Amino acid sequence: MNNFRSLQLANQRKTFGLLLGMAVLVFVVIYAVLTYFGKTGVGLVPFAVGMALLSVWGSYYASDSIVLTMTGAKELQYSDNPKLFDLVQEVCIASGLKMPKVAIVEDSAPNAFATGRNPEKALIAFTTGILDVMDRDELQGVIAHELSHVKNRDTLVSAIAATTAGAIALLSDFIMRMMWFGGGRDRDRDNNQNPIALIASLIVLILAPLAALLLRSAISRRREALADATAVSFTRNPAGLRKALEVLQRDSTVVNQRSTAVAHIWIESPLDDSSVSKLFATHPPLAERIATLRAMEANPNNPN
Amino acid sequence: MSSTIIVLGVLALILIFLVASYNRLIRLNVSVDEAFSQIEVQLKRRADLIPNLVETVKGYAKHENSVFENVVAARAKATTATTVSDVAAADGAVTQALRGLLAVTEAYPDLKASANFLSLQEELSTTENKVSFARQFYNDNVRSLNQSVKTFPGNIFAGIAKVVAREFYVIDDPQDRKAPNVKF
Repeated sequence: MNNFRSLQLANQRKTFGLLLGMAVLVFVVIYAVLTYFGKTGVGLVPFAVGMALLSVWGSYYASDSIVLTMTGAKELQYSDNPKLFDLVQEVCIASGLKMPKVAIVEDSAPNAFATGRNPEKALIAFTTGILDVMDRDELQGVIAHELSHVKNRDTLVSAIAATTAGAIALLSDFIMRMMWFGGGRDRDRDNNQNPIALIASLIVLILAPLAALLLRSAISRRREALADATAVSFTRNPAGLRKALEVLQRDSTVVNQRSTAVAHIWIESPLDDSSVSKLFATHPPLAERIATLRAMEANPNNPN
Repeated sequence: MSSTIIVLGVLALILIFLVASYNRLIRLNVSVDEAFSQIEVQLKRRADLIPNLVETVKGYAKHENSVFENVVAARAKATTATTVSDVAAADGAVTQALRGLLAVTEAYPDLKASANFLSLQEELSTTENKVSFARQFYNDNVRSLNQSVKTFPGNIFAGIAKVVAREFYVIDDPQDRKAPNVKF
């Protein structure tokens, strides 16, 4: 289990399993809506999915420009920082990706992120802090991790997860509101409804948003672990990324802007560990990621 | 009626699978070519750096003629290579000659401190990285292609489309044959 090929495979399988779990959850929620509301519920489902799609699709489509504005990142040219561009080019050659846009965020906390709806529209950004504290090998590991997100199309994966979780939250919200007003339910169907089924579907609708959020966070954590493994497949140097993560671990400063909307895209979670329970974390704990990379370093059978 | 639909559906799925496998094989074959041309691009970049580097070093270390001759000869040889194994062999020779040149510079502190040499050194080291990543990417692509050519259904299409298993890019470099990093 400690070479990057098997790790990549394992994380891809787990993502697939989690996405499947999402699909099952959607199915259960729709079933619960139909049980509870009968025919009037039918129209709700496409409405909720449509609204979630609209809100997520916009941010997915324009992810590079939106994130640029939200994080205050400035795009760089080659002449602004030739060393950084050379490093990014090296990893691009290793991964077979096109050269992404490179941007910088004025922030002393070391961090980095990548976004863009496809490899052609990719953007990779660094805080000024990370450029100051990391050496060449460490930065290379960070760049490889970020470009792995691009290669693995994580903007798309997280957009799918966000859409599903959003649709489920909306559906559940509708139902709560309708219960408040006491309307909506098919009165004529009351007589032949099983009360246990009604209560069960109500519980499902109440708990579903929470379950969707848990699944969404779990998917994000899998994608992070996958990006670490993919990064090693690019650089063949687990030590570089491991040292970079250790730098992040030692560093206690947190990126200034704490917008949760873009939290998932940073290499290290910009939010405080204590404020979010481990189950809702978008990233696996740094210690766990470091241990996985160490295991790869120690494995003499690593394919080179 | 419904059974005909099922049979047609299954046939359609098989057809889709076969078309997808065929396309994958062709795509892999093309990406091996692209990966090889990326190696050549990076080797060309490195070759372009050499005259400048040699001139700069010569300015400080006039008497190291054999080292300069090695580099220039290796570079000249590299320009004529075309097949994968020839390119790889020439690449290995240039890599080693350059290493010899850089070892010589250690004895000339004035040279090592000159701004021109420092910027050349930075450019050379990133180019070396690019060359080695290009080699690695090519070999990864060859690995995927060869796997596909040797397994079903790629092995059937390989004959039809005249796609063959490719040669790995192996350079004979003593520094690359490091002992495995064993930790206890």
